[in-house]
Amino acid sequence: MKPVRLWFKKDGLAVYISHLDMNRCMTRAVRRADIPLWYTEGFNPHPYMTFLMPLPLGQTGMREPLDIRIEGEMTFGEIRKRLNSVMPEGIEIVDVAKPEHKPNEIAAAEYEIDVWFDDAEKADDFSSGAKIIIDSGILNAEKRSKKGIKTVNLCELIRSFEISADENKVFIKTVLAAGNTVNLNAELLLNALLSSLTAEETDRNIVRTKLLREDLSIFE
Amino acid sequence: MYPKEIERFLLRVQKPGRYTGGELNSIVKDKNSVDIRYAFCFPDTYEIGMSHLGMKILYSLVNAREDAWCERVFAPWTDMEEVMRENNIPLYGLESGDAIKDFDILGFTLQYELSYTNVLNMLDLAQLPVRAKDRTALTPIVIAGGACVCNAEPIADFVDITLPGDGEEVTNELIDLLKEYKAKGATKQEFLAAAAQIKGVYVPSLYEVEYNEDNTVKSVIPTCGAPEKVEKRNVADLDSMFSPSEFVVPFLEVVHDRTTVEIFRGCIRGCRFCQAGFLNRPLRRKSPETVEAQCKAICESTGYDEISLCSLSTSDYKGLEKLITNMLPWTIEQKINIALPSLRADNFPKELMEQLNAVRRSGLTFAPEAGTQRLRDVINKNITEEEVLTTAAQAFSGGWTAVKLYFMIGLPTETEEDIEGIANLAQAVVDEYYKNPDKPKGKGVNVSISVASLVPKPFTPFQWEPQDKPDVLIEKQNYLVSCVKTKKVTVSKHVPHTSFLEGVFARGDRRLSDVIETAWRKGCKFDGWAEHLKPDMWEESFKENGIDPYFYTARRREYDEILPWDHMDYGVTKKFLVNENVKAHKGETTASCREKCAGCGANRLNGGVCDETSKTVV
Repeated sequence: MKPVRLWFKKDGLAVYISHLDMNRCMTRAVRRADIPLWYTEGFNPHPYMTFLMPLPLGQTGMREPLDIRIEGEMTFGEIRKRLNSVMPEGIEIVDVAKPEHKPNEIAAAEYEIDVWFDDAEKADDFSSGAKIIIDSGILNAEKRSKKGIKTVNLCELIRSFEISADENKVFIKTVLAAGNTVNLNAELLLNALLSSLTAEETDRNIVRTKLLREDLSIFE
Repeated sequence: MYPKEIERFLLRVQKPGRYTGGELNSIVKDKNSVDIRYAFCFPDTYEIGMSHLGMKILYSLVNAREDAWCERVFAPWTDMEEVMRENNIPLYGLESGDAIKDFDILGFTLQYELSYTNVLNMLDLAQLPVRAKDRTALTPIVIAGGACVCNAEPIADFVDITLPGDGEEVTNELIDLLKEYKAKGATKQEFLAAAAQIKGVYVPSLYEVEYNEDNTVKSVIPTCGAPEKVEKRNVADLDSMFSPSEFVVPFLEVVHDRTTVEIFRGCIRGCRFCQAGFLNRPLRRKSPETVEAQCKAICESTGYDEISLCSLSTSDYKGLEKLITNMLPWTIEQKINIALPSLRADNFPKELMEQLNAVRRSGLTFAPEAGTQRLRDVINKNITEEEVLTTAAQAFSGGWTAVKLYFMIGLPTETEEDIEGIANLAQAVVDEYYKNPDKPKGKGVNVSISVASLVPKPFTPFQWEPQDKPDVLIEKQNYLVSCVKTKKVTVSKHVPHTSFLEGVFARGDRRLSDVIETAWRKGCKFDGWAEHLKPDMWEESFKENGIDPYFYTARRREYDEILPWDHMDYGVTKKFLVNENVKAHKGETTASCREKCAGCGANRLNGGVCDETSKTVV
């Protein structure tokens, strides 16, 4: 039994696949690809498969990790080739590697967010407004957690934040807390900014570009 | 692929995956390279439609042709409908995102009478007139198939064509004909008249229906050379019949998400309430080799880890043991579970059952259908209390702790004693559990009984029977609940109003088209979903059209009455059905086709052959 970390890209049509559905989708893909999966030995055996950081519905992921375990020999290149030949549109295996870090070492994630507005003026207003809020260090929002809904200051979960406007589009590059203990969904941040500035966007696109460790080095 | 303008709404609706397409094995073609574009329309949600085997078969069948492209369309849920109507987005095919109003064929499958308003709603969302006569162009032609079209009269005003019987061959013939008529620039009328000449094609507009003063049918007269009797289409050889090797694999969780392969069509049992058992005669069987090869192919192309061998009564399949024995080695190795729905556990070897459960254990269900032997004889459900109890005991000793029992109420000749019998039988199953010395410690038993209401259906021996009114059914349900004395038995009931509407449309005539349209215009849709059913609006709709719905349900019909579906021929003769009805009232049973041919007459459609009686079967 050998642990293997798959890195996949999820974009286009696939952003509408929920996390729960991803699980089923990947299980079947691995079966179609005839990868020698290791099955759990319980009453109801199922392939060992763990998504380290669920990606919210509607977001693009450039490099998302998925841990599997295999039995017997198969090279990483072969696994990648086989999986990509059976993947549905929008999901691509970009890398297969040995897990370097433990899943709980994920501490942050980098996002690139595009937000479109009716015109350049509204984009500019949003960009400068958002900057002031983030610099102030206070952006309270209701956050759902396992213990119920509570109000948190989102700024405490932001590791870095850059924002700029170009014509009617605003571009945000931000690093947010991520992981099992503290996590900030980029969508929650964007919605909180939009509602405090009473701004309404025409379209949005959220991309998670990479996962990072506590010291902001890349999670591998 | 969805239309671009819908993208920004997708994250605002529940389960956007219903509307995006792009699933594995979905087929995208170049629209300029095909002659016929076919929209397979399922008048319910994505999750239900994607579980339907008929759709998978016809989807692959049409797409196997180079000159045609079949796409899938489901009824959008109300949140999505709102978005589409507000933004003027017409109903589209999931594969191309193109509006289906520009397609050549819209093919609906009608599995359930309560989906009729959804058909109208989908036509309207497609931005097409709902009435066939208002769609004057040759295309799109609206066709319908599925069990309900054995009596298509209530929807006769909305569809152009129905296809009674097996769809595999006639679909191709119809596409060929439309292609030819499209190329020569024919009119819709010309095409319909020609289509009516194909065996298994019914064109409702070519039949004139007259009524007697008492509202019964006086006559049904064909015009334009359409046949007097429309014979259902019958595929004779299931081994050479088209069968898909790929299923579209949904991302969303759907009702049945697994490899499904039919093992035979028809049924040897002859339960008198069961429409499927009569509509699909004569019995035609797929060979175990074909079944196994098809299962393998689908599992490989989908990655599914469950196979369902499907039929109306799986354990009646000759060669089932051999089939399972052959399949077990590779299915166990690949961790694939084999499910056998409709299994009569009484004639299935215990060892095989244990092996089947090696991968994952499935539930245990019985369908005694009635609470007393007397009533089971009336409905010809040849299963005895002893058989139920013996099998339950076996299951309990094998470690099961839950059993599901299916029953019906509202059966002909039913008395209080029969209803009490349901509770008694459930109690007997509970007692059986406690007789087992090896029962798991500290674990109770759960017997759940599901009680449906009889809806007498066309082409069954009960087609002349009155149906209990909703208030009577509620009384009977309450009486049953009062007879259950233990918490180990749970009762789940059907909504009586649902069965009532189902009954109206099952045995309805053409005058109901107006009622359906009125109800739909008032906002009725998804009537099969309890949360959407609006009984008041239906009541208003019947009233406004001067129609008494109980005329269709509560009345006993005479044997010599012309029934609205009498011009359809499903093989089984009326004489046979009358005889079965008479026997039912005498409490006489009819042996299964395996024991003795009952002479139903359906083999006439199959060149005189019925796989059950033919001697060539191994």
